[in-house]
Amino acid sequence: MLTCKEFDDFMVDYLEQDLSVWQKFMCWLHVKMCRECAEFVRDYHRYIKLGRKAYDAPDEAVPDTVPEELIKAALAHRESN
Amino acid sequence: MVRAIRVDSRTKPRPMTATSRPAYLDGKDKKLLKCLRAGDENCYEILVRSFGPRVLATARQYLRSDADAADCFQDTFLAVFESVDKFEQRSTIATWIRGITINQCLMRIRAQGRRQEDSIEHLLPVFDERGDRVRSYTSNRSCGIGDTIDAAQMKRIVRENILSLPDTFRVTLLLRDIDGYSTKETATILGISVTAAKTRLHRARTALGALLQPEMERLKYHADV
Repeated sequence: MLTCKEFDDFMVDYLEQDLSVWQKFMCWLHVKMCRECAEFVRDYHRYIKLGRKAYDAPDEAVPDTVPEELIKAALAHRESN
Repeated sequence: MVRAIRVDSRTKPRPMTATSRPAYLDGKDKKLLKCLRAGDENCYEILVRSFGPRVLATARQYLRSDADAADCFQDTFLAVFESVDKFEQRSTIATWIRGITINQCLMRIRAQGRRQEDSIEHLLPVFDERGDRVRSYTSNRSCGIGDTIDAAQMKRIVRENILSLPDTFRVTLLLRDIDGYSTKETATILGISVTAAKTRLHRARTALGALLQPEMERLKYHADV
């Protein structure tokens, strides 16, 4: 069986389904047998989702308007080039 | 007088992947592009006002300082103005501008040179000599009564924590998980191997998880109350 460290090294490939059938099976088996790694995988998924959600629309990070001086500067920048 | 071409700048552009790349511009995009290529000054203003908020938000997402984000805003629109004639119309204007914005952000980060980045080792899992996980990243941070948190606050906290990651890891995470590029595309954009991109991505996600764990504990705490 894989150690936790070996499983950790496979994590991205495991999630991206980029492993051989044997490697995939070994990872699956490790997750079934190791509670710590199972929790780690569950949290890992959760934080990826949380990250995506943080930038979902409607996105409060997008300002309604841009400071007028920035707009004017961008347009002036164009004219001077 | 600014002509009324309405472009919804708050609509998040779809990630630029081989499978999702739109083949054609819609009517609004075509009209705007035609007008830009004709050199109409009003259209340049429409473009900046329409897409400016999203450009600024993207710049703030990738760059830590507001001053850098403002400079990136200028550089992005200058690059957009200069390449309007070269735009091949294989994506929406929003996606095209987003790509230019990200590129400008990455150029700015690279231009700042390789600064000594904060270590994230303390946020990564620890294994013993047998390879067993010996430390979970559960935080001991205590929860205060009345320390409530809602979805909007959580979004803000997540964004702040992503922004606090060192450049190397933040940029990899943003490209792959937020902007939706594939791992291979992320590696190409960053000029690193796919293996290196995967390692950075894994470390970035793990570090973000460790940073967010206290907030999740707070959410759990309030959900349990």
